[in-house]
Order: sequence, then C-alpha cells, then structure tokens
Amino acid sequence: MSYLTRRLSTFPLVMLGVSVLVFVAIRMVPGDAITAMLGTEAGLLTPAQREALANYFGIDQPIAVQYWHWLLGVFRGDLGISVTYGKPVLGVILERFPLTLQLALMSMCVALLVGLPAGVFAATRNERMSDLGVRIFAMIGQSTPNFVVGLLIIYTLSAGFGILPTMGEFTPLLADPLRNLGQMILPALTLGFAFAASVTRISRSAMLDVLSDDYVRTARSKGVPKRSVIWRHALPNALIPVVTLSGVEFGYLLGGAVLVEQIYALPGLGRLVLDAILQRDYALVQGCVLFIAFNFMVVNLIVDLVYVALDPRIRLGEGG
Amino acid sequence: MGRHFSMRLISGLAIAATLGVASPASSATLRMAWSQDATGLDPHKQTAFSSIRLLELIYEPLVRLDKDLKIVPAIASSWEFSDGGKQLTFKLNPNAKFQDGKPVTPADVKASFERVLDEKTAAAARANFRSIASIETPDQTTVVFKLSQPDVPLLTAMASINAAIVPASEIAAGSVGTKALGSGPFKLEKWDPNSKEVLSANKDWAGGRVGVDVIDISVLPDETAILASLRTKQIDFALLNDPLVATLVPKETNLTLNRTPVLAYHVLQLNASRKPMNELGVRQAISCAIDRQDVLDTASVGEGKVTGPLTMPGYTSDASQLFCYKRDVEKAKKLMADAGYPDGFSATVIAANGEPATAASEAQVIQSQLAEIGVKLDIKMMELNVYVDAWLKGDFDMAVALNGGRADPYSMYNRYWTKAGNLQKVANYIDDTLDGQMQKGREETDPAKRKAIFADFEKHLVEMSPWVWLYTSYSYTAQQKNVQGFIPTPEGSLFGLSKVTVQQ
Amino acid sequence: MLRAIFSHPSGRIGGTIVVIYVVVALLGMLDITPHNPLQQYRIDRLHAPNTIYWMGTDLFGRDVASRLMKGVGQSFFVGFCSVTLATFAGTVLGLTAAWFGKAWDGLVMRIMDVLLAFPAILLALLIIAIAGPGTWTSIAAIAIVYTPIFTRVVRGPALSIKGREFVDAARTFGSSRSYILTRHLLLNLIAPLTVQVTLALAWSLLTEAGLSFLGLGTQPPASSLGLMLADSRNLMETAPWLLIFPALAIMISILGFNLLGDALRDILDPRTRRSAA
Repeated sequence: MSYLTRRLSTFPLVMLGVSVLVFVAIRMVPGDAITAMLGTEAGLLTPAQREALANYFGIDQPIAVQYWHWLLGVFRGDLGISVTYGKPVLGVILERFPLTLQLALMSMCVALLVGLPAGVFAATRNERMSDLGVRIFAMIGQSTPNFVVGLLIIYTLSAGFGILPTMGEFTPLLADPLRNLGQMILPALTLGFAFAASVTRISRSAMLDVLSDDYVRTARSKGVPKRSVIWRHALPNALIPVVTLSGVEFGYLLGGAVLVEQIYALPGLGRLVLDAILQRDYALVQGCVLFIAFNFMVVNLIVDLVYVALDPRIRLGEGG
Repeated sequence: MGRHFSMRLISGLAIAATLGVASPASSATLRMAWSQDATGLDPHKQTAFSSIRLLELIYEPLVRLDKDLKIVPAIASSWEFSDGGKQLTFKLNPNAKFQDGKPVTPADVKASFERVLDEKTAAAARANFRSIASIETPDQTTVVFKLSQPDVPLLTAMASINAAIVPASEIAAGSVGTKALGSGPFKLEKWDPNSKEVLSANKDWAGGRVGVDVIDISVLPDETAILASLRTKQIDFALLNDPLVATLVPKETNLTLNRTPVLAYHVLQLNASRKPMNELGVRQAISCAIDRQDVLDTASVGEGKVTGPLTMPGYTSDASQLFCYKRDVEKAKKLMADAGYPDGFSATVIAANGEPATAASEAQVIQSQLAEIGVKLDIKMMELNVYVDAWLKGDFDMAVALNGGRADPYSMYNRYWTKAGNLQKVANYIDDTLDGQMQKGREETDPAKRKAIFADFEKHLVEMSPWVWLYTSYSYTAQQKNVQGFIPTPEGSLFGLSKVTVQQ
Repeated sequence: MLRAIFSHPSGRIGGTIVVIYVVVALLGMLDITPHNPLQQYRIDRLHAPNTIYWMGTDLFGRDVASRLMKGVGQSFFVGFCSVTLATFAGTVLGLTAAWFGKAWDGLVMRIMDVLLAFPAILLALLIIAIAGPGTWTSIAAIAIVYTPIFTRVVRGPALSIKGREFVDAARTFGSSRSYILTRHLLLNLIAPLTVQVTLALAWSLLTEAGLSFLGLGTQPPASSLGLMLADSRNLMETAPWLLIFPALAIMISILGFNLLGDALRDILDPRTRRSAA
C-alpha cells in the first residue's frame, strides 16, 4: 500500500514538471500562431493588426501570466481552446483518442499473437536451426524502421495488387466493424511487426532462463513430461518480462505513432500533436502532451504493480 | 500449432475481404484528396494557399479571374471606372444568394469591405485596398467605391477570395471564422481539420447548375499515398504539389494529369543589405553563375519554364533577353574579381522544408553551381514556420523561396519594390527608378503603356539583381478518366470543380 | 573478451557486421569513397547501378555508394556521440543519486520521471525545433531522451549494492571508499550497461532515420541513412535503388548491434553461463 501511495504522490509533481517543460519549450520554437496562419503574408500586417491577432491567439501577455491562467484552467478540467479547431482542446483530443487506443491494442495483439508462440517455440528448440531462423526473423523485424515497412507495404499493395484500404478517415469500430478493420489492419501490422520481434526475443530468453532453473531441472529429472513443465511452470514465469515490456510499449503507443499515422493518413493522436506543433497551436500542444504523459504514467504504474504482484522473487525480496 | 495456423487462415481471409472494399461512389459524389488542409475558415484572414483552395468553393468575391486571367463577373454582373479612375461602380447580380437563401445586397458588400479595412480584423489583404476612401450603396443593386487616388490594380485585387463578400449579419454576430456561410457553389457540411471535409452543392447558386452533389475531401499528407489512392480508384480527383509524384500520373492509363502554369515563381532571394551582396557586381555575378534551366531540370524534373520577374500573361517577356539569363561563368568570375572578391565568400542559404517540395533540391543545385565561382554556401533547411519567422525579419544571407504571383504587376510587387512597401525588409533593396516605375504603373490606365512601363521595370530589376528569378512551375491536378469538365486556372484555383461531372 | 564474443554464434555474426560497418563509417568520414559524395554529375542523374556507379546515382547525379558510406559514417557518428553522452550523463547522475541519496536522489529522479513521461519523439522534435536542425542538435536531442533510461539502469544496481553487506565488510578491511565504488559497483554495472548501450545504439540509428525522414535531422547536402530514405520516397517507383540500399544498410547495421548485444548479454550475465538445456 505504501508503495502505491508513494508512487501516486509523485504524479502531481511530475505532471507539473511536464506542463512547465512543454509550455516553455513550445514558446521557444521560432514562429508563432500568427506566422503559422499567415505565412509570409504576415509581413503585410500593420502593428495594430498584429496586436489584434496576438490578442485573439492569447499570446500577447507575459509567459508567466499565460501559464498561470492555463494552469488554473487545467485544475478546472479546461485545457483551453484550440485555435486551429476552434473547439475545446480536451474535446479534440478525446475525438482522436479512440483511434490511437484501438491501434495500440491491435498492434499489441498482433505482436503478442505472433511473438509469444514464436519465442516459446524457439526456446524449446534452443540452438537448433529453427531457433536460429526465428531469431533472425525477429532481428529483421526489430531492425527495420517502421516507416520503411509502411511505405513498402503501401507500394506493394497498390502497385502490385491494386488494392488499398481507404485512407484519411476513421470509421469507429462500433459504427462499421468491417470498414474499421480494413482501415486499421495494415497500420497495426506495421507497428506490430517491430514489437513482435521484441516479444519473440524477450519471451525466448525468459523461457530459456526459466527452463534452466533448478526447480524445473528437478521436476524434469523426476520424470515430469516436458510439455507439462513448459505449460504449467515455465510459461507463467517467462510471461513476466513480456508483460512488463508490453505494458511499457503500450504506454508508448498510446502517445500516438507519428510516422505510421503520417504514412497511412490516420487521424490519430500522433498526427494531432505534430500538426499542432507545426501550426503553433499552443493550447493543443500543451493539452496533448499532458494527456499523453498522464496515460503513460498510469500505464507504467499499473505495469509496475502487476510486476510486483506476479514476481514472487520481488515480493519476497527487498522491502519495497 | 495447428490451432494457430487455422486462426491465421481465417484472419487472412477476413483481411482480404475488408481490403477489397472501396467506398462505393454515389453517382454524383466527387471523392477528392490533397496533402495540405485549410488552416481556417475566415476568407478575410486566411492567406495560406490550402485555405484559399477550400474557401474559393464556398465564398465568392465581386469579380473573379478566368483561365486567361481576364476579369469576369462573380457577385457583380458589371462594373466601371469613372471620375478619372477615382470611382469604381459595381452592379450586383440580382440572383446572387447566400447559402441560407438570403440575397446578397450592397449592404453586405459594404460591410465586408469595411471589415477588411478594419485593422482589428487583421486582414493581410488590407494593404491592397487602402485607396478605398468610402463606400456608398445608392440602391438595391449598386455599390460605389470612392477612391483617394486612381488605382487600376484595385479591380484585380478584388478578384481575390480575401475580398469575399460575407453576410453582414454574420459579421455582426462575429461568426465569420467559425461558420462558413457564403454565396459560392458549395456549402461546407463538415470540417475535421487536417483530416476531412465534406461539401454539398449549393442548389441556389447564381452561377448555374453544379455538376456534382457532394465533394468528399480527404487530407493525405503523403503524396505517394494520394497516388496509390488514385491508382486503386479510391479517389476521383487530387491536388498534387510535388513534381516528382505528379510526373508519375501520366503513366497510368486510367488517370489524367492537368498541368497549369501558375503565377507563383521560384526565386533565390539575396540580402543586398549584407556584405558582400551589397556590391552590385557580386549580385550580378551570382545571377550569371546560376544556370536556371539546370535548376529547373534537376529539382523539378524540367516541369516548368525559366522566367523573369513578371509571370503573368500579357506582361511576360522573352526571358533569354534578360541580363545574364544564359549562364556565363567567366563573366561571373570577372564580376566577382572586379567587385573585390576574386576568391569568393561564404554564406548561408535558408529554405523551408517542403515549401515548395523542391526547395531542398533547388538549394543543393544552386550550392553546386555557385561553388564554381568560389561562393561557398551552407544550406539550412528549416521547418516552415521557423523559415517564415526568419524570412519576415529579413534575417538571412540568401533564401530559396516560392513567392505568390498576381495577375497585375503592381499588386504582385508593390510590397517589395516600392519605398513604402511593407515587405521592404524582406526585399532588402530599393532605388528611385524602381519606385518611380511602380508608381507610374499604378496610375497608368492604357494597357499598352502599362506593358511598356513594366517591361522597363523588369529589365531594371533583373540588372540590379537583388534577387535571382528562376522559374515558374505548374499546379497539378490529377483525375480519373470519368471525371469531366474541370477547367484549371493559372492561380491554381479549384473553382472549376463547380462545373465538373463524374461519369458512371 | 573478444574471443568470447567471436566464439558465440550471434556474437560472431553481430561482431563481424559491426566491425565492417565501423570500417565503412571511418572510410566515409575520411572521404575515402569511390566518388566524391557531394559532387553532382547532373548529366548522369538517376542511373541504375552499373560498373561506374555501383549503386546507381541519385537526383543530382551523385554516386549512391559513396553517399551511403558517408551516410553510414554520419549515422554512426550521431549514434555513438549521443549514446556516449547519454551513458556518461546517465552514469554520473545514477551513481550520484544512489550514493548521496535523499534530496539529490529525489530531485534527479523526478526530473528523469518528467523526461520519461514526455513522449520521446515529441521531446526530440521540440529540442530540434528550438535549436534548429543539424548534426549536433540531433545528437543532443537523442542524448537527452536517452539519459533517463541510463540513469535508471545505473541507479538500480547501485542502490542495491550500496546496501549489501560486502561493502561494509570490505570497509572494515580498510579499503577506501573510492576503491569500493570503482571495483564492486562498476563491475556489477557493466553487464546491464553494455546491453543498454547496444540497444541505445540501435534505437538512435532508428530515431536519426525517423528525424531525418521528417526533415529534422541531418541537413542536405550531407547524407545520412535517414535522409537518403526520406529523399527516396517520391522516387521509389522510378529509382528503387535509392530506397533499397539505404534501407538494407540501416537494417543490417541495427541487426549487427542487436546480435552483438545478445551475445554480450549471454557472455556477461552470470545466470546464463550454462550448458545447453
């Protein structure tokens, strides 16, 4: 319990740190919402016009004042208004979030469905040809930049087979499941490909560790069949590092996969932030970063708790 | 293991089924895609090309430019200058209606222009309308603009969407940027910024029948994805920016590429207020050392035409007659030596990432060409906003730019090459000849005399070489063979979509 | 150590790959390439691979093979510098946090928490947007993003060792404080650190590619693997060699680091010093 409360107590401080960091960082980038909207035409503005625009965008006051007003708003649950959308920031984020969430979940499924069996299989055939084959395949998966994978997939499908999922929009899962899956399957495969490779390697090495444990050796020497050993004892323990790694990866994916979203034209959280930065939509950038950081921390906390609960060695070991 | 295999087979079939489904097009929906979305809905404030492309479908100005850049009626059906060019009278089309059914009245015109002129609106186009002294609305169909001085280019300036007529009631309600209520051929039904917009045909449009019922626009940031969508018939029509992608379209049998020469020009801007470019000889040497055709052939795969400063029809001249438009490295070296820099110098050239798509390539070719006369360039690619920030401050040695063009030389260049121009800081050069020529051109009404004045202006500008003009390129649209009737314009306007039909 | 690496199957392959790459990188950085990677032979642009230009030419007529070598040099330079910086900073911060504890530990770890919670790509993006793109800003950005991870990796074992009895035992035998630190602490850190370093190198190569792809990494006309990939995008159909060679180069280099990392982990981790199951 004290572990949980201790971890939770760091939340506000870290979130505050993140908020300050993003607030200052985005304002240090050259250019502002005025140049973002007008581009080179901003040079045609008279000083009075410039002042009017600065007031409209909320950037005419000293930074500390802007921060204070924004922070007060955050405590009320109001993340400000996005100047590019003309709508409240939180609303915009929540509209994009389901896609990112679904993409993260689907990528994880792909990765686990492919990676776990592959890793366990390779561990049981340790050092033989099939093991090496799986490992090389996993290596390639982990070594290819995901945007290269995405580009190659799109090119091969469209030029080679003449098919392509509809791009640029997102049909929610409940509205039209088939259409939704059509749009999401390729991005999920692209993202899942790299992570599947990690899962393969981690589960393989975890299985190898467990299989060489004294406990297992003893069971084997007593005549317990190999299969039973794998399923009932080795696998659950080998899952622990996979779970923690998956949790971390999931938290990371919840922040949006910028490059993959860009290539498949998915209106997700990653592109939202990137566009917001490029358009100097300060409120939106700040809101998104806070949102993403918050999710990341929550997921990490859950992962840590699960890890502590699952691994008897940790539980019994240091006093927390 | 057997379980895994059959699961994968099933999911594979499901995937194939979902992938094959393209959205069925209703007989009158035009599915479109572009890579850059509009950044806002206020026609008086928005200046980005991508915003204007969208707003031109929803709003209308008093007049517009046709494919030959002639001024034709829009909301106004006729107009005339009087009183020595100091009065401009418009007669409005009595059938012009806003999309809520209410007619467009002179009161709306007056309110719209007053909004543009109001500094609180921060309309960048205000600079073009400063000669308007007052606006009168004598009757139900007439608007009279009284000008403080003769201003021939004013009419052309009014053909811009930045001078769109919006309902006076919307101005009063303060909803012009959030609600898109115009008089144009299409109504904005839905806008998801950076993702999608849906437009529906305006049945009451005074300009005639609109050929399609719905336009469905997707924002696909990656132009190769746009090409892939065209190939697989997911979309019917697309706007493309990158010549490298556009030139792949003609290779497809079911696609057509429209190439329209545009007024925007690629240019290498020099900063004549910094050493050593304050020396005329140095600037001219740079102009002579650059092979413009080579830059065009390499960076834009030859898609375009070498040009002088004036890019609009009626004013363009034979570029080969302009100073040093044929590459002459020997002359360049001599000019450098005479100016006191026989060993050249180092400088930085800035360029914006992706704006235009060929910016980085142009910079690299120029770097290689100028190296031959000893000018060592360091390329600094910048994110667009950062570039704009530096550009507006005039904080650069050299800059690779794609600047917008206008149908009239005065509107196009008064911001840079007049003493009072608001972008003098960016031009970094002015002399009395240029200023005088600009003023004369503004007041002269006789077209033949105007052409002569601006021809001299162009010649002088190229000789003084504060910037090195390179070439103009094309605006690209690609369409399926069953899309008919699209007429592009040199401004890159998509207004022609109002007359497009989609064959089944 | 080297013998151990090369007798391990993954180590053999991984080690060989890394060595080849380092050689190529050095050749690239010293400008010992078949052609001048910056020289534009615009007449010869977009040629497919042939006897003169082994990997073809790009849009400006520059030799792809030479640019690839230089690109490998650039990517490796960015990778090694950023990871070295991150390792150094992380080790110093982690050790001092563990050793001095209390307020300093609290401060350091909170700052690391903030940096970790901040989405990695966005952090790198913002740093580069502020400082302007370029080689050194990429290095700084990647280093800053990776430092918290190294800090954590170092602090954990450092903390647990600090509390162990043998440290006190060693002190009773008269060993000086710094001797204890150096010997026991660092020895126990080598394994997780080395593994983390190889992972970080692989990650930095991927990130450098991603940043260059977005136009925020290495600046033209210099070449880096990521930049070559980004430039090849719109030419993919007319000149596929512009995509294939850099993509292969990145994949194999990361492969090499991962294999090497695996081998090192197997060699250094006491638990895995076992015979085949």
